[in-house]
Amino acid sequence: MLFQINFKSAKPVYLQLVDQVKSAAAAGLLRAGDALPSIRPLSEELRVNRNTVAKAYGQLESEGIIETQPGRGCFVRAAQSPLRKDARRKLLVAEIDDVIVQAHHLQVSAAELLDLVRERFDALATRQSSHADKQGTR
Amino acid sequence: MNDSASPTAIDIAGLGYAYSKADAVHDLTLHVQRGRCYGLFGRNGAGKTTTMRCVLNLLRPQRGSIRVFGMDPAQQEVEVKRRIAFVPDAVAFYPWMTVRETLDYLASFRSRWNRATERDLLGRFRLDLSQKTGALSKGQRTQVALVAAICPEPELLLLDEPTSGLDPIVRREFIQTVIGAYQDADPGNRTVLVSTHLISEFEGLIDEFTIMDGGRGVLTLDADHARERYRRIRARFSRAMPAHDFAGALRVHRTERDLDIVTAGDGDRLLADVQRLSPEWCQAEALSLEEVFVATLS
Repeated sequence: MLFQINFKSAKPVYLQLVDQVKSAAAAGLLRAGDALPSIRPLSEELRVNRNTVAKAYGQLESEGIIETQPGRGCFVRAAQSPLRKDARRKLLVAEIDDVIVQAHHLQVSAAELLDLVRERFDALATRQSSHADKQGTR
Repeated sequence: MNDSASPTAIDIAGLGYAYSKADAVHDLTLHVQRGRCYGLFGRNGAGKTTTMRCVLNLLRPQRGSIRVFGMDPAQQEVEVKRRIAFVPDAVAFYPWMTVRETLDYLASFRSRWNRATERDLLGRFRLDLSQKTGALSKGQRTQVALVAAICPEPELLLLDEPTSGLDPIVRREFIQTVIGAYQDADPGNRTVLVSTHLISEFEGLIDEFTIMDGGRGVLTLDADHARERYRRIRARFSRAMPAHDFAGALRVHRTERDLDIVTAGDGDRLLADVQRLSPEWCQAEALSLEEVFVATLS
């Protein structure tokens, strides 16, 4: 299963789904042109209300991550964020601040955190390229 | 006022109803937006069924008012009933009719009946059309009632304790199936009001809820906001915990080295408080709707 909902998270369920689609796209698990599951089967699989899935897809569409083709479903768009660059940066800053606060509480130093970020970049790049290989040999 | 333009499916304002001296429902106000799945949570005797019965015009409100799609269910009974379907907690059919005959009989009262939905759900529930309803289990009777409720494609579906008394493994799945099928087409005009005390089965399905206790509405919240607001913070300390007053917490439970706090709205501040005490382990998580229910009523 590509998506998973955690009801113990304080993050609204629809936002969990939005973030998971984005990270799946960033990791190359979802590529431009890939179809997203349609609303009813996905809501049954995740055991959530269809409104929740519809709201998530609506947000992804307004952010330009996916597009709806009437009668066919929702598809991942090529990675082109319609937001201006400073707006995009602003969105990231809030997330980064959260991570820094969390690191402070976990007594992880700034240097360690930066190392960890680099390490995660590499891990994602590895995952992306191995996924691309698999797609290539299909 | 009668209109399909009414943005709400149900408006209840200051509703009061008493069977004898004690109020079954007291000054209840709630609004159900169209297209939402709304939960009415409460223990047995909290006033959920009385509220449902007032919405259905089976009981006349003694105080306050009820509007369904902007209409008074007592004044415009036919028009309201045409647009809603109701499944009570105890379903009764004519026991000598088969499942097929029962569905045809119920369909005869309706201007619309979606045969494709009927086929789909009968298949999923593996219901035998030639069986007499008197020979069905309680769960199967409820399934037939749910199929019959959604095939007319009502704009409002009222479910009173739809899963009580059923097999715990199947009940959650079939309520999900029914609500999924119901809201599959025209979701903006498919509203659900469901009353239950088995809240965990509706986790994820509910958009908004009201918790009732002793006939009163004690908490109305959007499910996402509930998860944001209600949090449980747990921590463990390497030695005896320093004395600290967790002002604003809903509940504090502590032993010498363990701390367990439930909070509503003050989660960030209390979490920072706990972290300043340098626990060796600390975790914050959202409460499930059932835990919110328990925390609200205790």
